[in-house]
Amino acid sequence: MLNRGFIILILGVLLIVESFFLFVTAVVAKLYASSDFSAFFISGLIAFGVGLVAYFTSRNSKRVIYKRDGYFIVSMVWIVFSIFGALPFVISQHVPTFTDAFFETMSGFTTTGISVFSDVESLPHGLLLWRSLTQWIGGMGIIVLSLAILPFLNIGGMQLFAAEVPGISHIKLTPKLKGTAIRLWLIYIGLTILEIVLLWISGMPIFDAVCHSFTTMSTGGFSTKNSSIGFYGSSYIQYIIIFFMVLSGTNLSLIYYFVTLKFEKLRRNEEFFFYIAFILFFTFIMFVILLQLPNSVESTFRVALFSTASLLTTTGFVTFDYGLFPQFALNLVFIMMFIGGSTGSTVGGIKVIRVVVVLKNIYYELRRLVHPRAVIPIRIDKKSVSGAIVSNVLMFVTVYALIFAVGAIALTFFGMDFDTAVGASLTSISNVGPGLGDVMNPMSYCTVSIPAKWILSTLMLVGRLEVFTVIALLTPQFWRS
Amino acid sequence: MMRIFIGGAGAVGYQLTKMLVHDNHEIVVIDIDADSLEALANSYDVLTVNGSITSFSVLKGAGIKNADLFVAVSRELETNITACILAKRLGAQKTVARIDNSEYLLPMNRSHCISMGVDALVYPQMLAAREIVNLLAQTGTSEVFNFSQGMMSLYVIKLNENAPIINKSLNDAAHIDDSLLYRAVAITRDGKTIIPRGNDTFQIGDVVYVISNQKGISKITQYSGHQKLSPVNIMILGGSRIGVRAAAVLESTANIKLIEIDKAKCFELTDLLPDSLIINGDGRDTEMLRQEGIEKMDAFIAVTGDSETNILTCLQAKTMGVRKTIAAVESLDYINLAETVGIDAIINKKLIAASYIVRFTLNADVTSFMSLTASDAEVFEFIVRPGAKVTKGRLRDINFPKDAIVGGVIRNKTAFIATGNTHVKANDRVVVFSLPSEVNKLASFFN
Repeated sequence: MLNRGFIILILGVLLIVESFFLFVTAVVAKLYASSDFSAFFISGLIAFGVGLVAYFTSRNSKRVIYKRDGYFIVSMVWIVFSIFGALPFVISQHVPTFTDAFFETMSGFTTTGISVFSDVESLPHGLLLWRSLTQWIGGMGIIVLSLAILPFLNIGGMQLFAAEVPGISHIKLTPKLKGTAIRLWLIYIGLTILEIVLLWISGMPIFDAVCHSFTTMSTGGFSTKNSSIGFYGSSYIQYIIIFFMVLSGTNLSLIYYFVTLKFEKLRRNEEFFFYIAFILFFTFIMFVILLQLPNSVESTFRVALFSTASLLTTTGFVTFDYGLFPQFALNLVFIMMFIGGSTGSTVGGIKVIRVVVVLKNIYYELRRLVHPRAVIPIRIDKKSVSGAIVSNVLMFVTVYALIFAVGAIALTFFGMDFDTAVGASLTSISNVGPGLGDVMNPMSYCTVSIPAKWILSTLMLVGRLEVFTVIALLTPQFWRS
Repeated sequence: MMRIFIGGAGAVGYQLTKMLVHDNHEIVVIDIDADSLEALANSYDVLTVNGSITSFSVLKGAGIKNADLFVAVSRELETNITACILAKRLGAQKTVARIDNSEYLLPMNRSHCISMGVDALVYPQMLAAREIVNLLAQTGTSEVFNFSQGMMSLYVIKLNENAPIINKSLNDAAHIDDSLLYRAVAITRDGKTIIPRGNDTFQIGDVVYVISNQKGISKITQYSGHQKLSPVNIMILGGSRIGVRAAAVLESTANIKLIEIDKAKCFELTDLLPDSLIINGDGRDTEMLRQEGIEKMDAFIAVTGDSETNILTCLQAKTMGVRKTIAAVESLDYINLAETVGIDAIINKKLIAASYIVRFTLNADVTSFMSLTASDAEVFEFIVRPGAKVTKGRLRDINFPKDAIVGGVIRNKTAFIATGNTHVKANDRVVVFSLPSEVNKLASFFN
């Protein structure tokens, strides 16, 4: 059965890590003389206290984890982080119910970016930073962060890593997991700082630059402004954000190889090729459709590129009211939200590589109809992919679609109309932001009913952990000893 | 910390990875079989590379030029030698190849191997045979490790109910003073290993690790309740390479009966072992064993390729009155089980080979290193460098790690047992016993 002691120990230590981030936010709130300083300080103390108690009650536990514990710990970590991360919202009394606070925090950690606050500009600095910070932490992943800084996770770290970063192939840059985690974080931090500097130079206030960089690099999409990036009305800022969104949707190990000048590893990476191809393809079609709107060619192109990058990388920033889009463009939005970006990046969605495998499989299956005896393996990066992996991918896509559909149907039960339910379900499981119907705007969830918020929170978590980790917990086999 | 490349994710490669991964080494495992790599990557924090170890591009791509040690442990000798040659040329500091042919070990062929780029060789069957011979020479013990050509040895002894020291504390069993001939350095009880202190007591069934110089051994067997026995009649079951190598060494001093199931093989064996009696038969046939006089045997060694046969025939031999039984067990999962059912000693050639390779990863001053089969503890032999931290005072004063113990010291060709009052000097050879958690701390005392 599950190793209860060690699970509590890990959760305890991770809570102490979270309390550190809460204290950092408290310090920033103090600097800005923000009204929510005490809320963060108290939340930090609670998280720290509970973490410490958990640590001391279970520090002598047996330190082994199996696959099963791995799934359980990773799912629990995200839930526990969201519960304690919701405290500042509750304590500062900016939300009516705990559900709203939990929903907001889960939307943050899973980098979804849908919000119960329709007027974020009225929020104090502390809460604004905390929303961005949750996305920044969740973007790279709580476990990946912990692996980089907590030596004790060397035991069983493999199991946790595999449960939090599923994907087709595990990205390992160095023999040691810790080395990989540190390198990934260095790149992540480096790119975030670069974006902060660029945004700041181009005229964004430093606080907004930090918050937006956090939510761009994590492909989260929380903004400090009600009209998102559109607020700044600067095409320069938009191009910078487009660039960093596209970068965030790229496999981080490719960026690592680029930075360390190992160009030979970059050649023939099919996923990157298709990722860029998808961006160009959808931008082009969007551009052609949007030409019918009365705007200049440059701004139409910019809207097309920005929306494509924002949706395909599941960031969810907005520069333009999607309500004005023609129906056909909205359908494209829908498809892009399914696809997502590359594996090994911070994005959600099905991921480009899986889409490529599915498409290739369809194509080859058709060829097999003509040549029944032909041996035609699916090839990725010029290497044939085993049947087991293909079937795993097909299964993933099927389960993903199924959960999305069940989610949508469940939402209509709680009073949503069809368009809204479909949009909300998809945007949650793919961790995007904008939806369809009444939730076209990511900041329109204050009116959604309480049960619907719990359904959406679950969908966000299921999507962020790529389905199987959470679903495994729901099977009877998991709980049988 | 070393960067170690392991070529081959078979049983030896797996065992080696398991032993090395907790010592902070960066490990890259290369194998052509993706499934065995996945099994490894799922359990251990290592980088796995799928490909042939004799391919230039695979080795280069895995980053072999930064390798401190390359170990080729695939099944084929040719593959391993070729891989070592390539690895050395591509920049690996040191290479080790697993072989299955003793010719390569002959002194006259050593220089050829080294000039090709193969720095060291591991022959698991040979190591296992040597282990068997060691075990037979020391009765009442289930394992023995020799240091500095046998000047000091570590004996592993199972205490039975006749042992006079049962329920006595360490201090009662032997007054610890400077003329001490032996000392218990560790006890494994119910699968847990502890470093005993003066008032810990011995219990029935304890596996005790005793360090001793040559003068102490007769006393030890007497205290442990075992009787002295020098094997004259030995029955070996299985004409495997381990069996043949062990018989070749033993046949000059003992009467060997070797039982082999395959008739053609028996004829080959008669050429290899002129002084042994080769019998064609199935070891599972009790009647045949009886006819061959198993009751009169002093030792029974089962080394067929089938672990289950080895374990069962050893148990059978035990019931027929053979005093010393040794079984070769391939499956690592069976080792603990086999030890508890009453077989005197278990041999696992993969474990032995992996322990032998691990010593290449330790500091250059470590001359030997062993991993014990019945416990997770490790034994090291260090040469003390001038100025090392351990020379700074008496052992009790220098804050030596709690879960490690200096067992013996060899100074100017005399070996003596260490106590708290011992002051280790530069250029001494010391035998240290340690639980895995303290291995890293140990290194700091001897550097």
